Amino acid sequence: MPWRKFFKWFGGFFGKRKVIRLGLYGPPNSGKTTLANKISMDWMGEPVGSVSEIPHETREVQKKEHILVETDGRKIEMNLLDMPGIATKIDFEEFIEYGLSKGEAQQRAKEATKGVIEAIKWLENVDTALVVMDSSKDPYTQVNITIIGNLEARSIPVIIVANKIDLEDAEPARIREAFPQHPVVEISGLRGDHIEDLYRAIAKHSR
Amino acid sequence: MKMGIQIEFVRADVLDGMSVEEKMSYILEHVKEDKIVVIEEGMSPLEESALIEATMKQVNKKFPGIEVSTLGEKSEDGIRQRLIRMLGGRTGGLTVIGPSKLVKEIRKDPKHITMLAAEEAEEDKRKRK
Repeated sequence: MPWRKFFKWFGGFFGKRKVIRLGLYGPPNSGKTTLANKISMDWMGEPVGSVSEIPHETREVQKKEHILVETDGRKIEMNLLDMPGIATKIDFEEFIEYGLSKGEAQQRAKEATKGVIEAIKWLENVDTALVVMDSSKDPYTQVNITIIGNLEARSIPVIIVANKIDLEDAEPARIREAFPQHPVVEISGLRGDHIEDLYRAIAKHSR
Repeated sequence: MKMGIQIEFVRADVLDGMSVEEKMSYILEHVKEDKIVVIEEGMSPLEESALIEATMKQVNKKFPGIEVSTLGEKSEDGIRQRLIRMLGGRTGGLTVIGPSKLVKEIRKDPKHITMLAAEEAEEDKRKRK
């Protein structure tokens, strides 16, 4: 559609700010919602969603729209999309170990499977992706490789977030070694350590 | 009687000509029969995500999902692969998929896949009923 392209170019020429759809991807319990909450609290003063030690707390895509981030004199407007964690298995028995009843656990598992499918479908609808990994865990997993491979196949910019550096056994260097082709930012979403570095990376690599 | 773990090795040409959906159905059909499937070909990222999606649609209390690992991921355009196949060659790579009830862990680095598999304990089998 040449006219659509033309109007897009024309709008950009007169300074219309683009809103970036920023997707937070990763396996369950890597700290995506904690990070989304940190970003949203910093710029809007309100959280995105609830967090829990029980995996698959986020079972639907959670959105926070029109977040205006300012870093190094540059303003970026973004819609934050906190995705359900992507996994290859969801066992309701695991939820029972956290104290849920059998019925609650089965319901959570059912919702979580739908969440994974929704997160995968959204892969083609984000402009930039933060792939959030727990720095205390092995980063070279099939789920991480699949997420990054899918984003690369669609030419979507990837920023890898080596999260949870506040943990004693965190080894963010392993993440850098595993994915040398992408920028890696080491942070603690919980404490906010190095969060400014993440905002700079988003400003630099987003489109 | 103690049962063993069944591993099925699949030649890449078995899946040739199948659509992505057909490939995923073939794989999951065998994995749900408690077999570990080893395919002599890597998967592309889009095939990997299609496999996760297909798996999630089939998860229930008896089938909690899969463990999967692939070595030598295929490129998305597949031109190189198609050309190699046209010339009668093989594109290489390897994919291992197993039911998560049996495959406890898959560790991977760019050159190796290490898999830890064990029969499901009787107590766990009872819980799933």
